[in-house]
Amino acid sequence: MRRNLPRSKYQKGIIHPIKYLRDYLERDIRPDGRQFLRVRPMSVNVRSITQADSSSIFKIGNTTVVCGIKAELAEPKVETPDCGYIIPNVELPPLCSPKFRPGPPSDQAQISSKIVETVFLNSGVLDPRNLCISKNKLVWVLYCDLICIDYDGSVMDACVGALMAALKTLTLPEVEHNPDTGAIIVHPSKRLSVPLKGAPVCTTFALFEDQLLIPDPTEEEESLALARLSLVIDGEELCGVYKAGGIPISQEVLMKSLSQSKKRAELVRKLIDTAISST
Amino acid sequence: MEVTVGDVAMPGDIIKDISTHNTKDKIILGPGLRRDGEVIVASKAGVLRKGQSATYYIDSYQKRYIPNRGENVVGIVTQKVGDIFKVDIAASEQAGLSYMAFEGASKRNRPDVQVGDVVFAKLLVASKDMEPELVCVDSLGKKGKLGVLSSDGMLFTCSFSLVRKILNPECPLFKMLGKEQAYDLAVGMNGRVWIKARSVHETIAVANAILAAEYTALSEMNSLCNRIAKMLLQQR
Amino acid sequence: MEGTEIVEDEGILRPMKCELNHLTMPDGSAMFMQGDTAVVAGIYGPVEARVQKMMYDKASIEVVYTPIKGPPCVDDRMREQIIKETCEAALIATLHPGTAICINVQELQDSGGLLACTVNAACLALINSGLSMKFMIGAVNCMIEKDSQKLILDPDTTQIQEAKATFTFIFDSSKKDLVSCQTTGRFTEKEFLYSFDKCKEASQCVFQFFRSIVTKYATRI
Repeated sequence: MRRNLPRSKYQKGIIHPIKYLRDYLERDIRPDGRQFLRVRPMSVNVRSITQADSSSIFKIGNTTVVCGIKAELAEPKVETPDCGYIIPNVELPPLCSPKFRPGPPSDQAQISSKIVETVFLNSGVLDPRNLCISKNKLVWVLYCDLICIDYDGSVMDACVGALMAALKTLTLPEVEHNPDTGAIIVHPSKRLSVPLKGAPVCTTFALFEDQLLIPDPTEEEESLALARLSLVIDGEELCGVYKAGGIPISQEVLMKSLSQSKKRAELVRKLIDTAISST
Repeated sequence: MEVTVGDVAMPGDIIKDISTHNTKDKIILGPGLRRDGEVIVASKAGVLRKGQSATYYIDSYQKRYIPNRGENVVGIVTQKVGDIFKVDIAASEQAGLSYMAFEGASKRNRPDVQVGDVVFAKLLVASKDMEPELVCVDSLGKKGKLGVLSSDGMLFTCSFSLVRKILNPECPLFKMLGKEQAYDLAVGMNGRVWIKARSVHETIAVANAILAAEYTALSEMNSLCNRIAKMLLQQR
Repeated sequence: MEGTEIVEDEGILRPMKCELNHLTMPDGSAMFMQGDTAVVAGIYGPVEARVQKMMYDKASIEVVYTPIKGPPCVDDRMREQIIKETCEAALIATLHPGTAICINVQELQDSGGLLACTVNAACLALINSGLSMKFMIGAVNCMIEKDSQKLILDPDTTQIQEAKATFTFIFDSSKKDLVSCQTTGRFTEKEFLYSFDKCKEASQCVFQFFRSIVTKYATRI
């Protein structure tokens, strides 16, 4: 009976997940057949949701994140009268992984939303003043909904990628606002794109014993990793280095991750550009 | 950072005095020290001390009790569950105390223990993965000093460093106090002390003397005890 | 071990002050001030864990951060997460399986470098609680000024307004490697590595301060 059981069930690391992974790493290969420094294939699709003002689907291996941006008119915040704002919201529904339960957003979803927001703000990719229609009266609010469909590691990378791809294809209708009467006229046919500056790319790394660094971990690797590190690169500059706990990382490995993420950033940027020009 | 005996060690410090190269020497690592490959590393903050032979430990401050096998503790019975009593010993988990673990107990002759009683017991099992288990008898089935403490005593808590200080055989506190007052005392390693003297006045006086001992040097213990005795005489 | 002693540190960082065992109920507590930023941290543990959060192989660590005003928001969630993961890296959680270690942090005043201050306070409270740790953790905050491109260690609120980028680095005390990191703003790789080196040096002051505090209290008894 026992011999009939598929051996892969044991091999898939159900009984000794840590040892299973370590056996692979000792043979200089990752469980999905990748070399240590290789990243998974990525694909981007833009303008797939017609109802939204702009949208994108970003895939890294199995990980899939859908982004839809809906623009709405609103009054500006009192402290920033000439700035529009964006509200990113990362959803991790039970569909994407058995780790998540239905109900109010989990801590992880809240933190992911926060990270996406800080990446957006720190990178300065979109000047919030460009979202202003009439000072003190009317600005654009961009509701960026990021929904994870398949949670297989490096979700932050996919979220940032999807958001950037969607922002690049975002067009806003021209709005006329009469400050005296408060009348608003929207011209849905005349749409203008929003000026963007750069395109930040996030790269997640997992850290294992003896400072072994692997980029773009899968969910399996991520959950067994001893530490995780996310770097956000925009062109020649950095706009975010996040590491929360785990084993300490040495300076050499940090440098290595920097150079790796630069290469990846270039790759992702080209990918998004080709995706947009081909549609 | 490397430290030697008598220094203040911090978590992560390497202990220089202890070498692991000579495998023939026996070294005993006490609380607050752990081995990390070839070196001995401190895991708590406090003064590094060396006991008899090659026993090293860190004298650290701690408030939360973590059960250790063989230690005597003072606990409060909170529940009777089937054949065992649940005893609160101020640890993360309640300890179990079997009703058979009393002197002369048998299936017929159950010990008289009620919920709310204070017991002085020894930890028989204390491992991180298991519920701690208490006994009120020694290996010969004799109760010795262990057992239920009478309900007309007083229970109070103090820090672990004070418990270690007053239980040290070199500490003259109990002997000196005993010259003037008669009292029963049970000190648990979990920071709980139970005392009973002839009157309420004396009980409180002894309790205060013990608490005051925390900040009193061994040489000043004598004057402390005299002060307490004088105070009690005035009240009589 | 009554807490009244105040130790000041002169140096490149704002003066640090600390009072250990400040609260009576928690198993370990610390009040920590860095400049005018002040935080109180209290630790309970190991205590009985809630059934949902219990882990059979190690202690679960819970962090509650309470801001000075208003209910906790998403920013505070993120702060909690960093404190939790950082403390988890320092603690030897496998020594107390099936239990919980609760870290409670209350903000008292924010004059810049709040995250660094909270992490340092949590570390001091952990030291005070007597829980076994692999190493200490020390956090240092720094910023790069917008106009002068100068690096300022441990800036206060007025200085931060002129910042192009800010960094919070958390180092371990044994190998001086990076445990946690958080950044804001845009910066070059060179600026990042320079700040990293400077903060690494400054973290020595933090660890030295921790040691001096513990020495003060340890020699008192």
